[in-house]
Amino acid sequence: MSVWSPPFTMLEIKNLHARIEDKQILRGIDLTVNAGEIHAIMGPNGSGKSTLASVLAGKKDYEVTEGSIELDGKDLLELEPDERAGEGIFLAFQYPVEIPGVNNTYFLRAALNAIRKYRGQPELSMSEFRKHMLAKAEMMELDSAMLSRAVNEGFSGGEKKRNEIFQMAVLEPKLCVLDETDSGLDIDALKIVSEGVNRMRSPERAVIVVTHYQRLLNYIVPDFVHVLMNGRIVKSGGRELALTLEEQGYGFLEGTPAGASA
Amino acid sequence: MPTSLLDHYELVKGLLSTYGPDHLAAMRDRSFGEFQKFGVPTQKDEEFKYLSLRALEDGGFQPAYGATVDRLDVEKTTLGLIEAATVTFVNGQHAPELVTQHKLPKGVFVGSIQDAYANFPDILTQHLGNIATLKGRLGSTNDERFVHLNTAYLGEGAFIYVPKGVSVEVPIHVQYLTKADHGPLVSHPRTLIVLDDHSDAKVIESYLGLQGVYFTNAVTEVYLGEDAILEHTKYQDETAESVFISNLSVHQSDSSTYTSNVANFGGHLVRNDLNVWLDGERTETWLNAASVGLDHQVVDNHTRLDHAKPNCNSFQVYKAILGDHAVGVFNGKIFVYEDAQKTDAKQTNQAILLSPTATINTKPQLEIFADDVKCTHGATVGQLREDAMFYLQSRGIPKAESQALLVYAFAAEVLEKITIPSVRTALEKVLYDKLGASEKLPHAE
Repeated sequence: MSVWSPPFTMLEIKNLHARIEDKQILRGIDLTVNAGEIHAIMGPNGSGKSTLASVLAGKKDYEVTEGSIELDGKDLLELEPDERAGEGIFLAFQYPVEIPGVNNTYFLRAALNAIRKYRGQPELSMSEFRKHMLAKAEMMELDSAMLSRAVNEGFSGGEKKRNEIFQMAVLEPKLCVLDETDSGLDIDALKIVSEGVNRMRSPERAVIVVTHYQRLLNYIVPDFVHVLMNGRIVKSGGRELALTLEEQGYGFLEGTPAGASA
Repeated sequence: MPTSLLDHYELVKGLLSTYGPDHLAAMRDRSFGEFQKFGVPTQKDEEFKYLSLRALEDGGFQPAYGATVDRLDVEKTTLGLIEAATVTFVNGQHAPELVTQHKLPKGVFVGSIQDAYANFPDILTQHLGNIATLKGRLGSTNDERFVHLNTAYLGEGAFIYVPKGVSVEVPIHVQYLTKADHGPLVSHPRTLIVLDDHSDAKVIESYLGLQGVYFTNAVTEVYLGEDAILEHTKYQDETAESVFISNLSVHQSDSSTYTSNVANFGGHLVRNDLNVWLDGERTETWLNAASVGLDHQVVDNHTRLDHAKPNCNSFQVYKAILGDHAVGVFNGKIFVYEDAQKTDAKQTNQAILLSPTATINTKPQLEIFADDVKCTHGATVGQLREDAMFYLQSRGIPKAESQALLVYAFAAEVLEKITIPSVRTALEKVLYDKLGASEKLPHAE
C-alpha cells in the first residue's frame, strides 16, 4: 500500500535577476525543481540559459541583483562554488576547461574527497577511490587511458563532454545541471552521454538540462520543459512543449508575456 | 679579485695535468688566463645584475675532496635510482662503483671523459671546449667567464657518444652528486654529449645535493649531427646553501631536433646559461623550463638562441614559481642572422608570485637582421586562470586548494614534456612536495 506524499522540493528559484557587468541577463526567474524530476530549459541564443546554469554553480562573473536560490531550504547565494558542490550541485560545463599539468585521477579524487570532507564523511583511500572511479568509467565507456591524462587537455569536444558526465557520475551530486551538453556531440556520443545521465536518475536526484535543441530530449526525457526568453521563463509545459518548439521554432512565443505558463 | 678560486689553480694544476693529453693542459692554462682577466662578475655587470656572487669570494670554497656515498644515498635523492645507463660523479670525481651497467647498442659510449680518451680522442679534441663558446657570434657579452673557470679545472667529466644512425632506447643518465661534509667545496662538472648524424637519444643530467655548502660550476656541451634528435632533461636539486652556476651550450646541424627540459628546484644562488647555436637549416629547438624559488633563493635563467641559418624553428617556454623573498630572472636573447630567413622563433616567459616579497625580472631581447622571419615573445606575471579556478571550485575543491593545484599545474605542465615516465613522475613528486610545504595542495598519496 502506498501513501501519497507531497513532492520534495529540492531547488527553489524565486524572482532571480542577474547581470554581467552592466548587462542585465536574468530578469526574474521562478523555478521549482523537485527531487526525482528532470527539467529542460530551452530557449534561443542569448536568452540567458547558460547564465542561469552558471549562476547556480556560483560563477563570479555574474552578479545576482535580486531574488533567491535555495537548495533544500539552504540559501545558495551565500555559498562559494566549492561549497555549492559540497551541497550537491554539479554543473556540466558547456566548454569544459583544460587544465594541463593536473592528472584526471588526482583531480577527481581531490574533488570527491573535498566534497566528502565538506559533508563530514571520511576521505576515500586511493584504492577505494580507484574502484569507485573505474566502475563509473566503465559505465561511461570511457577509455581508461583518459584517466591518467591531464584534465581535458587535448580531448576532443566529444571526449570533454563525456568526461563531464563521467565526473558527475563519480561525484554523485544531488542536482545535475547540464549546460548544452549536446553541443558538439555526434549521435553515438550523444547516446552514451544520455545513457550515463539516465542511469543516474533516482528519486533523490534532480536534473536540469539546458539545451538549444530538442534532440537531446529524445534521449533524456524531461518531466518539464521551460522556455527562457530575454531572461524570463515565458512558457512551461510537459515534454510535448519541446516537440512544439522543434516544429515551430521559438518564433511562436515572441511577444508572450513574461510569467505566462501553460 | 676572488682569492680562493684563483689560488687553487696553482695548487691542483699538477694533478690536473695527469688527466688527458697535453693540448688539454694547454687549454686549461689558456682558460685560466681568460678567467683571471675578468674574475667573478659583480652586479654592475649587466648580465649579472640580479645575482650577487659575493659568496664566491667570501665563501672559502676549497677544491673538491672525496666523499663516501653509497647506493642508498643515491636512492634517497629526490630523483631516486632510475633505470638508465648511468655515469655518476661524487664531488666531481667519477664513481663507477655506484652504477649498474646497462647493455647499450654497439659503439655507444656512456662514461668518463678520461676513459673516453682511449677510444675517442678525435671526437673529444674536435668538440671539447669548442661548443661552449660565443666566439664569432653577434652581440658581445662577458658571460663566458664561468666556462673558462670550468675548463681551467677540467679534470674528470662525462662523455656520451651515439654513433651515426643509432637509436638508444634506454635513457642515459649523467649524475653529479655533491656531499660537502668537510667544509665548503667547489667542483667543476663537465659534460660532453655528441650525437652523430641520424641518431637519437634521451639524456638526463642531474645535479643533486646530498649535504653542505658548496659551489657547482657546471659546463655541458652538446653536439647534434644532421637529423639527430636529443631529449635532454636537466634537473637541479642542490642543497639550500649551495651556489649553482651552469652553462649549457648546444650546436645543432641540419634537420636536428633538440629538446631541453630544465627543472630548477634547488640551490641558493642559481644561474643557468643556455646557448643554442643553430648552425644548420630546418632545425627544431624546444626549450622548456620550470623553476621554483622559495626562501631567499635567486634563480637566474639566461637563454640565447643564435638563428644563423634559414628555416629553423625555436620554441621557448620558461616558467617560474617564486615565493617568500625569492628572486627570479629571465633573460632571453634571440639573434636572427642576416641569412636566417624563414626563422620562426617563439619565446614565452611566465611567472607566478606566491608572496608580495617575491620578484621576477624579465628581459626578452630580440635582435633581428633578416627580413622574412616570425619572432614573438611574451611575458606574463601572476594571475591564475579564472576559468580554471571556477572549474576546480565547481567540483568541490576549496579556493586555497584550487589555487595551490593551479600553481602546481603551471610548472607540472613543463614536466609533461619529459617522455621518460620514471623521471617525470619523480620530478612531479619533487615539485608537489616543494609546493606542498607552503601551499594547500590536496593529498596525492
